[in-house]
Amino acid sequence: MEYILKNGIVYDPANGVNGEKKDIMFKDDKIVDSVSDNAKVIDVTDKIVMPAGVDIHAHIAGPKLVVGRLYRPEDSRRGVTQKTAHEKGESGFSIPSCPTTGYRYSRMGYGTVCEAAMPPLEAKHTHEEINTIPNIDVAPLPLFGNNWVVMEYAKENKIDELAAYVSAWLKLSKGYGIKIVNPCGTEAWGWGMNVHGYDDSAPYFDVTSRQVVRALTKVNEKLGLPHSIHIHPNDLGHPGNTGTTIETLGSVKDIAKSTLPSASLRDQVMHCTHLQFHSYTGTSWKNAGSGAPDVAKFINHNKYLTGDVGQVTFDETTTMTADGPMEYDLYKLSGLKWANKDVECETGSGIIPCIYSPKNPVNTLQWAVGLELFLLINDPWQLCLTTDSPNGGPFIRYPRVISWLMSNKRRMEMIENREVHKWAEKRTTLATLDREYDFNDIAIITRAAPAKIDGYTDRGALTPGFKADIAVYDIKPNEFDPSRNPKEVEKAFSRALYTIKDGQILVKNGEIVQTKPSHTIWTNVTGLEDQEAKVIEDIMPFFKQYYSVKWSNYKVHDHYVPNPIKIDVPVK
Amino acid sequence: MKTITFDQIKTSSIALEFDELNTDNIYTWTEDDFAKYTVPVGNSRFPITDYFKITVEGEADSPNEVKMIMNGDMGRVKYIGFRMSGGEVIINGNADLHVGAEMSGGYVLVNGNAQAHAGREMSGGKLEIMGNTKEFTGASYIGEWRGVTGGEIIIHGDAGKQCGECLTGGSIHVLGNCDILAGIHMTKGTIEIDGNVNRWPGGQMKNGNIIIHGKLGRLLEGFVEQGIVTDPEISGKVYAGKYIQYSGDIALNGKGGLYIDAENNRDKLSAYSEGNDEYITLGDY
Repeated sequence: MEYILKNGIVYDPANGVNGEKKDIMFKDDKIVDSVSDNAKVIDVTDKIVMPAGVDIHAHIAGPKLVVGRLYRPEDSRRGVTQKTAHEKGESGFSIPSCPTTGYRYSRMGYGTVCEAAMPPLEAKHTHEEINTIPNIDVAPLPLFGNNWVVMEYAKENKIDELAAYVSAWLKLSKGYGIKIVNPCGTEAWGWGMNVHGYDDSAPYFDVTSRQVVRALTKVNEKLGLPHSIHIHPNDLGHPGNTGTTIETLGSVKDIAKSTLPSASLRDQVMHCTHLQFHSYTGTSWKNAGSGAPDVAKFINHNKYLTGDVGQVTFDETTTMTADGPMEYDLYKLSGLKWANKDVECETGSGIIPCIYSPKNPVNTLQWAVGLELFLLINDPWQLCLTTDSPNGGPFIRYPRVISWLMSNKRRMEMIENREVHKWAEKRTTLATLDREYDFNDIAIITRAAPAKIDGYTDRGALTPGFKADIAVYDIKPNEFDPSRNPKEVEKAFSRALYTIKDGQILVKNGEIVQTKPSHTIWTNVTGLEDQEAKVIEDIMPFFKQYYSVKWSNYKVHDHYVPNPIKIDVPVK
Repeated sequence: MKTITFDQIKTSSIALEFDELNTDNIYTWTEDDFAKYTVPVGNSRFPITDYFKITVEGEADSPNEVKMIMNGDMGRVKYIGFRMSGGEVIINGNADLHVGAEMSGGYVLVNGNAQAHAGREMSGGKLEIMGNTKEFTGASYIGEWRGVTGGEIIIHGDAGKQCGECLTGGSIHVLGNCDILAGIHMTKGTIEIDGNVNRWPGGQMKNGNIIIHGKLGRLLEGFVEQGIVTDPEISGKVYAGKYIQYSGDIALNGKGGLYIDAENNRDKLSAYSEGNDEYITLGDY
């Protein structure tokens, strides 16, 4: 089937197209240069046309979502809708049901999401959930930062063995890249402790976060994975954590990016996620302030770094992370119901509801720090829009964040009218920042940059040959001032005029008109098969002794991933 | 004034859901409107006239001018009076789950028993149940930490478990007995129980008051005896007689008040010792 999107105002930053009136054509599931006269014309005259959105960091599938849904029935009843001809009934706000997740991303014009934390032991279930999420492609990132084998290899600096281990585990878990969460800290939490600072060691392992992160970065570049390491540093959410963050960011400066073609798209060697939660000064919440200027300055000077923000959106949400000790700290602060989990030999996790209130000074500080990062990091290609969904707020709030970024007037209104606590003005520089994003910048931070940072070579741009993943929004950018109309911006980005995924129209006028199965994107490293077999043989005694599952039950078999997009990464 | 009468024709084994048929939505409806309406039954919808003969008399300009009378066994009709802001609903029979849930005004009377979640998360109005209720009467939705925030609930019979859970305002009066964990997590408001209470009222309460006139089974450890008070005045109302006053739940640094009738609960006094209850009189305490 051939289509032509006629006369749209196209924002395609990867191809240098900034608000040009042109036609976008696609045939079947691919974007093409030209179509025949029989192509179906969709008139989008003067409306915004962008590649479909790419979310680089969200928690949308996996066992912790299930725990969240089970222990927060009060969240599941929010956003309930009845089934329609094309969609099942929706439920949930911060932790929506699996189908709801797919519908809501589609409505916002998104096509790809990176599931940010998948314990390899629980990968099977994560994939089962991904299979029930329609309309979006999902790339799950397995957790390696507190894995016992990884920590042992990192301590002994056995990079070759570690590379073979990571390569094998990406295959076993059908994962896309290397995720590190509070390296050594979550393992310490297994003993009721945490690590504080980058050079603190995990108990009984005698290995530091620095050693683990550097070893995994070297492995990532040795293998030439499409995505860099994806790190959630130590000390999340602690006042004064800016130092740890900058130390973490700076610690991989000397590690060269891979020269392998599979890693050629990206520029970075480290992607630091939800920077907002890692950019506080002070020694306690009483004297906490913003570390965003320091973090932003460091990122501005170092092109080997990228990040996403993890913006707080003032909602009642559910925090969930593999950073178990942080969740315990949050529980001690709020006293709300808390769930805690240890994943044997690999990681842990915690879940707790969180009510971000604009009247709360700390929440306001977090909100302002996030916006500061957006406004102070100069190059939008180094930054992605996220809310660390659902930790800072659910992903359905991305349009609201966009409206804040495009309107200094709205930000100042919130500060001056005391819609937010006075800490926004007193403890951050937000009130002094008048930068406003334009539609091209928004297209970068929501599509082009995440696709580039993730290393996708088939999406995030409207290049002929790429997937026909396209979003059309009901805004005429040449007749519209987003700075003065933040509500209209939010409304338009919440309900795409069209969302096209793999050449199929899934959303029309903000309503789902079709659903399709999701794809799972995973990385298949080839060329290290012998080394992988050797490593598996070496660790098998450990596996048999410490894991409570059998090796034959550990692997994610192919039938768990019925719609794979396998990225082959040959290593010579 | 408009009177809408629902006379039951047949019952259903699968519950009918009346959340769309609150006074706010139907005050303008005519008999023709009802004839066109299909009511959710499980995952399907059926004409409401299959289940009820509906008679409409009079006119109404607002929900406050509507009186809904439901005759028959509504034991499989859920959400009667759901989210209504005014008017009257009289149920001459039993009611199923969520009767009067989330109502903000008006009056709901159940001349029978009600199932669980009666008056859940009410913010105003009055719910009166002449019979018994099951679990979570005047409570929050499962998992939610804000329950009833206003209004009045009167249960003439017994109430089930976790009555008044997460109460954050308003009042609940149970004339019969009450099962375990009445007023758990409450932060404000008043629960008065005329009958006996099984166990553990007020667990993790932070504020508000619970008054028990009958016999209390077991008390939680987090309540600290404050002594005996006579004719206490609680939330503007005087309760005649002697009550043992507790404050708690100290597990949450709570400052709630728990008052239990002293005569019926002499064994709860710290100075009480078994076999010597004649010696410890209330006057001696």
